[in-house]
Amino acid sequence: MRETNDPLRLETGEGPSGLRVVRQAPPVGSVSFAATYVGPAGWGFDTTGGEGTARILGQLVTSGAGSRDRLELARFLDRMGATLTTQVDPESAEISVWGPSEVWETLLGVLADTVLRPRYTESDLARVRRQLAERQMRELVQPGSRVDRELLRALFPEGHPYRGTGIGDARSVARIRRDQIDRFHAEHFTGDGAVVVVTGRPPKSTVTRVVKRLFSNLPTDRAPSLSIPTVRLPRRREVRVDLPGRSQVEVRLGGVSLSRGDPQYAAAYLANEVLGGAVLLSRLFHRVRSRGGLAYHASSHLEAMRQGGYWSAQAGTGADRWRKVVPMLREEIERLSSESIPGDELRIMRESRIGEMALSLESTSEAHELAVDAAYHELPADHWKQWPSLLRALTPREVRAAAETALDARSSVTALAGPIGSA
Amino acid sequence: MVTRSVVRPRLSSFRLTNGLRVLLAPIDSSPTASVWVWYRVGSKNEYPGITGASHWVEHMLFEGSPRYPKGAIDKAVVQVGGELNAFTDTDFTAYFTTVPREHLSIPLDIESDRMTRALLTDREVERERTVIHSEREGNENWPEFRVEEEVYSLAFRIHPYRWDALGRREDIERLTPEELRTYYRKYYGTRNAVLVIAGGFDRASIAREVRRRFGRLPATGADVRVGPTEPAARGERRAELSGPGTTPYLQMAWRAPALDDPATPATMILDTILGGESRLFSAGAGWGRSAEHPSARLYRALVDTALAVRAGSEWRPRVYPGLFTVQALAVKGISLDRLEDAVDSVTERLGRTGPTHRELDDARVRIRHGAALAYEGASRTGFRLGYFSVLRSPQYEDEIFHRLLRVTRVQVRDRARALFRAESRVVVRYTPTVEAPDA
Repeated sequence: MRETNDPLRLETGEGPSGLRVVRQAPPVGSVSFAATYVGPAGWGFDTTGGEGTARILGQLVTSGAGSRDRLELARFLDRMGATLTTQVDPESAEISVWGPSEVWETLLGVLADTVLRPRYTESDLARVRRQLAERQMRELVQPGSRVDRELLRALFPEGHPYRGTGIGDARSVARIRRDQIDRFHAEHFTGDGAVVVVTGRPPKSTVTRVVKRLFSNLPTDRAPSLSIPTVRLPRRREVRVDLPGRSQVEVRLGGVSLSRGDPQYAAAYLANEVLGGAVLLSRLFHRVRSRGGLAYHASSHLEAMRQGGYWSAQAGTGADRWRKVVPMLREEIERLSSESIPGDELRIMRESRIGEMALSLESTSEAHELAVDAAYHELPADHWKQWPSLLRALTPREVRAAAETALDARSSVTALAGPIGSA
Repeated sequence: MVTRSVVRPRLSSFRLTNGLRVLLAPIDSSPTASVWVWYRVGSKNEYPGITGASHWVEHMLFEGSPRYPKGAIDKAVVQVGGELNAFTDTDFTAYFTTVPREHLSIPLDIESDRMTRALLTDREVERERTVIHSEREGNENWPEFRVEEEVYSLAFRIHPYRWDALGRREDIERLTPEELRTYYRKYYGTRNAVLVIAGGFDRASIAREVRRRFGRLPATGADVRVGPTEPAARGERRAELSGPGTTPYLQMAWRAPALDDPATPATMILDTILGGESRLFSAGAGWGRSAEHPSARLYRALVDTALAVRAGSEWRPRVYPGLFTVQALAVKGISLDRLEDAVDSVTERLGRTGPTHRELDDARVRIRHGAALAYEGASRTGFRLGYFSVLRSPQYEDEIFHRLLRVTRVQVRDRARALFRAESRVVVRYTPTVEAPDA
């Protein structure tokens, strides 16, 4: 098969120990390179009592790798003009490296070291614990973080990976020992169930060969699977947290939703864009901000993961205005399921989402996000190429039906945090 | 491997007879085109009573003009897959729209319409008042915003850098639609704007289109120099704030040079050594500064030693002398006094011994990488060209880049001595009123 220079058409190869390799051509004219390892190392795998392990490891893997300690690694990256970042989600952990194209092989080497040979000291562990402790406090006292926490706790049962944000609590983080972290690393940074995504000039054959060499020590164990407790749809209810002394009330209205692989995903995606995802063109923005003048931000979000997902509509508003805002959010969500989206509105939204793909090809880092998403969810290699026709094929009836199940106001939870008083 | 000069697309510029300066940076391969309009108006042009006017006018430019009634701008851009936004700072207000390249005419039409003909009706101004309040309230939820606002209000007694671009609460409550219209008419227009277009287009045909759309606009808008010069501080200024929060937070600030000051390059190196990167030339895929810099002095002295969970520094390029700030968020149980002592010790040491050879070399390499990678994509290109144009000139980027590479250890040491003087220091300390419970 010929190798492609189209960033929307991914190429797949086989790495060592079951590791998948996905190569994406960079946008024309780009001068940088990006690579990401995504593996089954999310906080959903934290043991009971060991909550926070995945997050701690996520921070520690950039604290030093291979023969370089933290300072040496930081200087090495600085001197290449590169960055190394991690992101931990309920299901997976992502480690990404970005830098100049010329040093792509060195950058991949740093990524491999980070995945295979993280190097950290007791003082690194202590530092990460301190940072996580502050984050835990922030989640309680900051209205935006607090309201997200309350919403997820109301939607998902105890033990569900989507219930929290993976930062554990003071007790669990204090208890986590180095050997637990090392064991977590050995079991979860595997080849099986993981993928390395590369956006860069080297062709697939070269990328695959280099990944095979650099990642040859990946454990051959089978990837662990995530156990997901059954979610019973919540009763419609409201959670209020009074946080006096703040200026703004953060409002969320959300519910349980579908997975990324669900056949209704594309229709649900479009329904959410109409609701509040495509912020400036959306119903929530129009109703709450443009017409109502009630809030600076009003939007919605659909988080579709491998095993399931959730949605939320959100706004930040004054202590004297949230009572008006909450019913507006609810009405707009209900309208999405009860009425078909007018053809013109749907068409505009669809073409808007298709058009914005050009913006995703402005730079390597933006194109890389598309590739990581498709690769992690094991979507077809030409998924982004087919995306426009997929969206254009959707009918108003299908979008409405998807909204009914994926953005269901009937079993939603309203959460508020901020200066709401004892109301 | 690293660049010897700033790497950016070839640039052409011209000025229309009505005063509008135009910069064109075609990138043949780009699938997008990005249009930026930068006005030399910001909170520097305000005075007590009308603080926040620049920011409010920025909002109003999305709320209706003759060809684009309320909501039509968002719709016209987003429906073709474009994105748009605007931001207001002390020295400028910038509007940007990035669209698939075949739709470049849309933002050009919008900008040429709202440059002089935005409506700012009473009704829409009133409706926007609560939105502006809401934006400010969202920021007030963060201790960092409250502290920074206090730092600037202490550091500046006369100069308009004293207030935040969002404006004071009382002024947001009070400003009238007529005052906003007057403000708009005074500062918006061809003579006070820079139009930057970057991305996939043909230079000659876009130049023609620009002349056709913008050339007929009247010559309006004024770049008004700020009159008052801030007198030198004669002693340290301090404030203690309290409110909701996690752990104690500290911000210290010193008077710092404006962008075109000869002392600026050494100040930027100082920022890189203390905080890990310089605002104008930083590596990274985005525009923002990345959070962690383990090799930076403040990080090593405060975060590695278990005094702070994060620490950094910032010097922002400004038209007039501004501030160099250091921020640190304490580890639970660490007092603000200890944090302050630690920052003092870092700044004092830098003034005594200067940076090491290695630190200076690392800083230079980082700046060179920043210059090599900063122009990837039409949007970033439009941003950088406009940013330098409105603060000084696009060519100034090259000038400051070369001056940065010539900065010596002695210059950095002397700069640290001159900058970190206790008598010109501002210290704002934030104590959480209720110690956050253990999660």
